[in-house]
Amino acid sequence: MPDAAAPDPFGVGLPLDTAMSRPRPGTILLEVDGEIDTATAPRLQAGLDEALDAADAEGSRVVVDLTGVTFLASSGLAVLIGGARRLTALGGRLRLVAASRSVTRPLQVTGADALFDTFDDVASALSAEASRPSPATAPPPGVAPPTRGVGR
Amino acid sequence: MSDAESLDGMSTVEVRTSATAALIPTIRAVASDLAARADFDLDAISDLRMAVDEACATLVDAADPTSVLQCRFLVRPERIRVHAEVESAKPDTVLSTDTFGWRVLQTLADDVEVLHKAATDGRRATVAIRLDKSAGDVPR
Repeated sequence: MPDAAAPDPFGVGLPLDTAMSRPRPGTILLEVDGEIDTATAPRLQAGLDEALDAADAEGSRVVVDLTGVTFLASSGLAVLIGGARRLTALGGRLRLVAASRSVTRPLQVTGADALFDTFDDVASALSAEASRPSPATAPPPGVAPPTRGVGR
Repeated sequence: MSDAESLDGMSTVEVRTSATAALIPTIRAVASDLAARADFDLDAISDLRMAVDEACATLVDAADPTSVLQCRFLVRPERIRVHAEVESAKPDTVLSTDTFGWRVLQTLADDVEVLHKAATDGRRATVAIRLDKSAGDVPR
């Protein structure tokens, strides 16, 4: 029987932590640790919303570090895709740090990886230049707008 | 188990939990463990873990709050069949398959099927998802 004095230890699902920081001017880093599923996706949503609100206000780029994520369900993918769309509308492109199969496989198998700039580690994600269409296919500057959002 | 599948002497594992999202991590951990021991390749292990999670999350959404989530794994040479089932919240509950999660599930599994069973004397209506996953890449 449920005991009112002792909350169900599994009641809120697994731990999922998000931490926002500004490792360098103009860049917001959201570090995520834990398993992202239907129970924990709202916490990712809250963390990402906060990061995107700040990015919108400051004109910063956003890096989401998923190195510490050990599971990623469609509910979590949906949050990331929503974030990517929002940032694209602002003229940016969401950067993900995804090193382990737990994260890269869901991105790959769903085709969602096309929506993000993905990096193996945080240092690369922080230092990379804004993504642009590849030189081979890119129109000369000023001739035509890029076909997809450019990082800022 | 309400479906017609019988134990055939092969390895079968059944996990029963309250039908709550907070316990799905336990079920997907079992899925992952079984796939690893059945020599699934690493992508297939990841896919099965995610597929089982999607199936269970979909069922929990449609389940009666007092329902059990029953998840049976039939481990076969080169493949695992999963049958997950809950008691429906309403007699006419129909699983929504017009969702992102369902499309992901279809992508992850080799085959997936929804099974609705109407209430019969004394037994509530149930809804189940059956999925098959092979140990390695199948040609698409």
